[in-house]
Amino acid sequence: MARFLLTRLAAFVLTMFAASIILFIAINVVPGSAARSALGIDATPQAIARFEASRGLDRPLVVQYAEWLRKAVTGDLGTSFQNGVPVGPELLTRIPVTLELALLAFLVANLIAFPLGVMAAARHQGWVDRAFSTLASLLGAVPNFWLATLLVMLFTLWLRWLPPGGYVPLGTDPVANLKLMIMPALSLGLVSSALLLRIMRASMIEVLSRDYIRTAHAKGASEWVTLRRHGLRNATIPYINVAAVEFGFLFGSVVVIEDIFQLPGIGSLVLVGIINRDYPVLMGGALVITLFVLVTNLLVDIAVGFLDPRRAKEGQA
Amino acid sequence: MMENRPHERTDRPPTLSIENLTIEFSRRRVWTPVVRDVSLRIWPGEIVGVIGESGSGKTLTSLAALRLLPRQARIAAGKVRLGETDILSRTDAQMRELRGNRMALIPQDAMQSLNPTMRVGHQVGEPLNLHRGMPLRAAAAAARKFLETVRIREPERRAREFPHQFSGGMQQRAMIAMGLALAPDLLIADEPTTALDVTVQAQVLKLLREIRDNSGTSILFITHDLGVVAELCDWVYVMREGSVVEEGPVRRIFAAPQAEYTRMLLAATPSLHEPRRAGEAA
Amino acid sequence: MTTGFNWHRWRLAITGSIIIGIILIAAIFAPWLAPYSPYDLDVAAMLQGPSAAHWLGTDELGRDTLSRLIYAARISMQVAFIAAGVGLVCGTLIGVTAAYFGGLVDLVLMRLMELLFSFPAILLAVVLMASLGTSILNAMIAIGIVFIPGFSRLARAATEVVLREQYVESARAIGMSNTRILFREILPNIIAPLLVEAAVAFSYAILLESALSFLGLGAQPPEPSWGNMLNVGRGFMAQSLMLSLAPGMAIFLTVLGFNFIGDGLRDALDPHMKD
Repeated sequence: MARFLLTRLAAFVLTMFAASIILFIAINVVPGSAARSALGIDATPQAIARFEASRGLDRPLVVQYAEWLRKAVTGDLGTSFQNGVPVGPELLTRIPVTLELALLAFLVANLIAFPLGVMAAARHQGWVDRAFSTLASLLGAVPNFWLATLLVMLFTLWLRWLPPGGYVPLGTDPVANLKLMIMPALSLGLVSSALLLRIMRASMIEVLSRDYIRTAHAKGASEWVTLRRHGLRNATIPYINVAAVEFGFLFGSVVVIEDIFQLPGIGSLVLVGIINRDYPVLMGGALVITLFVLVTNLLVDIAVGFLDPRRAKEGQA
Repeated sequence: MMENRPHERTDRPPTLSIENLTIEFSRRRVWTPVVRDVSLRIWPGEIVGVIGESGSGKTLTSLAALRLLPRQARIAAGKVRLGETDILSRTDAQMRELRGNRMALIPQDAMQSLNPTMRVGHQVGEPLNLHRGMPLRAAAAAARKFLETVRIREPERRAREFPHQFSGGMQQRAMIAMGLALAPDLLIADEPTTALDVTVQAQVLKLLREIRDNSGTSILFITHDLGVVAELCDWVYVMREGSVVEEGPVRRIFAAPQAEYTRMLLAATPSLHEPRRAGEAA
Repeated sequence: MTTGFNWHRWRLAITGSIIIGIILIAAIFAPWLAPYSPYDLDVAAMLQGPSAAHWLGTDELGRDTLSRLIYAARISMQVAFIAAGVGLVCGTLIGVTAAYFGGLVDLVLMRLMELLFSFPAILLAVVLMASLGTSILNAMIAIGIVFIPGFSRLARAATEVVLREQYVESARAIGMSNTRILFREILPNIIAPLLVEAAVAFSYAILLESALSFLGLGAQPPEPSWGNMLNVGRGFMAQSLMLSLAPGMAIFLTVLGFNFIGDGLRDALDPHMKD
């Protein structure tokens, strides 16, 4: 087991490292845009050159990356090109916001998808199955930023139940916080739930067609006991793997949703970083998001190792 | 023509009695019979073999007794009785009470028939939980002695293991243990030795015979392997394309087959003029 | 019984194709179908609701929403096809190469793809747009790059299956060159799953492109894109419902259409499907 964990951890660190390289290349590949963005389109070539030199942007990429990495491992993620604010601390204050949004949205998605998917599979080809499948089909085609707009139209404009945007920390005022988080979480969660429902349904249908389900019936187990005891664990394993990928997509989508609801999270920071070509901000923000996604994958990998006795055995070999 | 059937009795009904059973299969909304007018009986303590090739309907017939037919199949006509109990008129809840309890299934592919994420002990002991109200944990502990019965060594350790850690023969024996847990009247064994090596196969057959000898359990043994039938069974039914073409005591069937098809089957199998004794080389 | 074309089996794919067909026609024949030019301002008529003159109302600069919607279809469809095309071609090349040559080539290529795959799609697209610059062309490239890992994985798996078959061995034995084997033996047999994935990629591309435009990173004003129309609509929610409903509906229907095609193809080509 220890060996299993260590190999996974090592892979995680390596992947983070490689991801930082890719992000760095992606951001810095086109020269000049940071300077032009900070100084304006009328900037003279000399001003641009001075700007770049002062921030070391004229050096070879490899050198720049090495410099960034050296500082990053000590926790220094640079300062913003726009306003000189240190990136690291800014990210720290924003992480709880994004984390809360992502977790709430993911919770919503699973609370819907899990039971409905199981039900649809248990009543395969019945009207319940067709209804839920159709629902999932339709919901999955809705862009989450459109759903966000529609929710605001309904709950803010028409019903006047919820404020349209802003943020209050959870510790300060839980009720206000949740009121502000419901719509963002629903926008992300509802659309995610569509895919997850289909996955759970497919996974469970596959499991229910297996021989060991027939064995359970042959022993006299009721449908419910069979489903719970023999079906769930086996169907959940492939489900978790896909759910992890979907969580990654969901986490990426915070860039759009935080912008709509004016949530001061990492996503909106990344967006600002892009519009202003503010490289340190963009690099830091994108890296944190990627970090969370990779951590999720790592945790899921470990969880599956525990859930699936065949996998755990591999780790020990 | 009434042949002498040693296990037949007049004081008790047959353990299993199937009369004029017809099973239909649906394909593209059309129902076609795949098992036609099949009758068979199994008496207490008798080991009955059902021989036939793939598609002869032998598995479906046995599943009908358990009322575990797949969705595309239905019982169109006939009667099925387990002792005094009329199977076809039972409700679903009543059937659940019978399954694993008064009659048990030992399915074909043991590896596939075991839940890969559940410990073997839990699975083998599950009938105790389902029918005797024992908590699953306690049932798993009790399963140890069932594993002993089927000669699995180190039963405590094995009970905590998962199916993929068992060999093919052990998996099959675990399935048998599962079937025996509640001392059923009838064991339905569907090709239990087909996937096994010859030596392991011999052990499993020996085990089944012991079970019958020690507890009087009837066994319905489905197979396409004539050698196994010759070795284990008392009475034989030969099935072909959904019908019974011949039945009789095992020695007579092999020595003097009446039906054309039976003769064909015997001719196709190498060196089978006489039932083999256990352990004898082919 | 004569066997005609099995309509029932292909019903989902056909429904999807009809939807996409309509949108494609709208996109291609936009200049003839749109009642107005998408750029015609008429500030006096701004933010009107649906009327006889403007079936879907007007936007904040008095432009006809319906016309802009139709022209926006052009952009979305272009981006979807080119991005999916880029992803399909590059991904297939990488995947097939990795599977065919195996060993170190396979290891390096697939590790790289895995790495790319671990980035959330939107994040990757958005970061790429930051460096490439905001334009429709760059959106195509960025989204295309996002698709490459997925296609490469699929192509590699499909190629592995084909490689295990005998006919590649035979082809090599009779001296067929690698490129010919590639085109004659491998490609035709991996096309089916790739097409299904392509349909899914199209719908995803529509979503990504509209998300990018919504954020202001894709089509730039005055070019109409469903995404940037939605963005504007959000600002004028109280005054004009249609500005928020129409573009969103367009995205929804297009994505749904492609999803139907993808699902329909998958179901119809699945050998296990029972009637």
